[in-house]
Amino acid sequence: MKKRDDVLVGIVIAVAVLVAILGALWLARGGLSKGYPLYAKFPWSAGLKQGQPVLLGGVNIGYVDEVDLRTDGTVLTTFRVGKQYHVPIGTTATVVANGIFGDMAVALTPKAPNPISISPGDTVPVGPSGPGIAQLTSKADSIATSVNAITTALNRELIAAGGVRDLRTTIAGMNRLVAQFSTIAAEQNRQLSATFASLRHATSGVDSAKVDSTVKNFREASANMNLLSEDLKQTSMKLDSIVAKVDNGPGTVAKALNDPGAYNDIRALIQHMDSLIVDVKKNPKRYINVKIF
Amino acid sequence: MIDAVGSVFARIGERGYFMRDIFRGLGDPKTYGGETIRQMRNIGVDSLPLAAIVAAFIGAVTAFQTRYQLFGGVQLSVVGLISRQSIILELGPLLTGLVLTGRVGARMTAELGTMRVTEQIDALETLAYDPIAYLVVPRLIAAIVMLPILTILANAIGVGTAFLTAILATDVTSTAFSEGLRLAFAPFQIVYSIIKATIFGAAIAFFCSFEGYNANAGAEGVGRSTAQAVVIASVAILVLDALTALLLAPYLQG
Repeated sequence: MKKRDDVLVGIVIAVAVLVAILGALWLARGGLSKGYPLYAKFPWSAGLKQGQPVLLGGVNIGYVDEVDLRTDGTVLTTFRVGKQYHVPIGTTATVVANGIFGDMAVALTPKAPNPISISPGDTVPVGPSGPGIAQLTSKADSIATSVNAITTALNRELIAAGGVRDLRTTIAGMNRLVAQFSTIAAEQNRQLSATFASLRHATSGVDSAKVDSTVKNFREASANMNLLSEDLKQTSMKLDSIVAKVDNGPGTVAKALNDPGAYNDIRALIQHMDSLIVDVKKNPKRYINVKIF
Repeated sequence: MIDAVGSVFARIGERGYFMRDIFRGLGDPKTYGGETIRQMRNIGVDSLPLAAIVAAFIGAVTAFQTRYQLFGGVQLSVVGLISRQSIILELGPLLTGLVLTGRVGARMTAELGTMRVTEQIDALETLAYDPIAYLVVPRLIAAIVMLPILTILANAIGVGTAFLTAILATDVTSTAFSEGLRLAFAPFQIVYSIIKATIFGAAIAFFCSFEGYNANAGAEGVGRSTAQAVVIASVAILVLDALTALLLAPYLQG
């Protein structure tokens, strides 16, 4: 009986120890194989811890084995990569956030596809790190500070300085003004309605046939006026042409109009005609000698 | 008032003396060596089915409820993460401890109480046996050793049933659950679970043995001591759970 107790207790303890060890190994490494080591020297490890995943192209290929803060201030990180995985030459290592719980991971990013792999024990160059939770928090903090400053200023201007009260007073005044405008608009509307009613009443008394006839006459008169205007225009053009001819042409009239000599001759002629008429009147017999037989 | 305060200190003092006797009994391995294995069988091996059933249901319920508590947009791998953390850090050790308080602690008190009222303990003293080394120390060692063992197995069973429930009864894939299961894992989390279980085992054995060892005369006294032992041990487990979390939780992140 005692022997059987020993065996049973021993089996249970052994199974439990085995489960604990294998479970921890699987959870930490994803398997029993230790993989081959690679190294990276990070200036900032962002809380990277042993057991956290190593990702190549987003695929989990290993785990962080050791994180060692060196005397030169860098963090020498040893990570184990599964033997079935190969890390191409030119790959860079960065510490990235993994999930939303502040967990970190080492991300290996190949520069380009390369069949040649980094040898076990080599150091992987460190790439530029993306913004971490701390930077995002810092940015959010600065935004919060700005919002706080704006809120304080708004509080000071709108509440402490009575801005809100003034605003309320203004709004109340606006409301009163709008009410007055509404009253005025209603009154205007009423008057306009009355005016339109009167106008409608007046227009209903007009004989539309007469109005049509009058409008038609107006149209005809307007058409006649247009024709008359055209005729006048043509006449004017003809007169202009005649005047131009009279004024500039080579004819007698033009010469009579434009030649001062002719003018003088005509004056002299008129004067002679006048003196002749006077003489004729005075001595008619000199010029008129009537003989019947 | 002064009497009440004095009574509290007197009770603490009695337990202090009992602890001193246990430490003294530890120096006599020939007395408790053989009995320890028998108690380990009783406390550990015989309690395994009960602890496994409790852990299996707790794991299944944890995974199922976690899945349906998630709001839209949260990665389903979180189910694995939360199930693992809940079971390993809290539910595994705590529920195993409470279950064993009922099954093992009550039996411990009843056995020792019966021995007390039937004067078997007095007989051991007459035969120059140290009754604490023969009766209490094996139970204490067995509980301290076997509760972590049961807790490890309960954790494994709980996580296993959580995995099965998640992939069979919900839309969580095995890949997503495994990914979450391994996310942010630190080996100290298992050590933390074992530390808790060890403390709970010690508490169960200590309080239940004390109540049984000091049971009053008669069947009624044994029954009262048993009930009192279960209550004290259960409360002690919860208090120690909180204290352990307070002291060790900061180290869980590595």
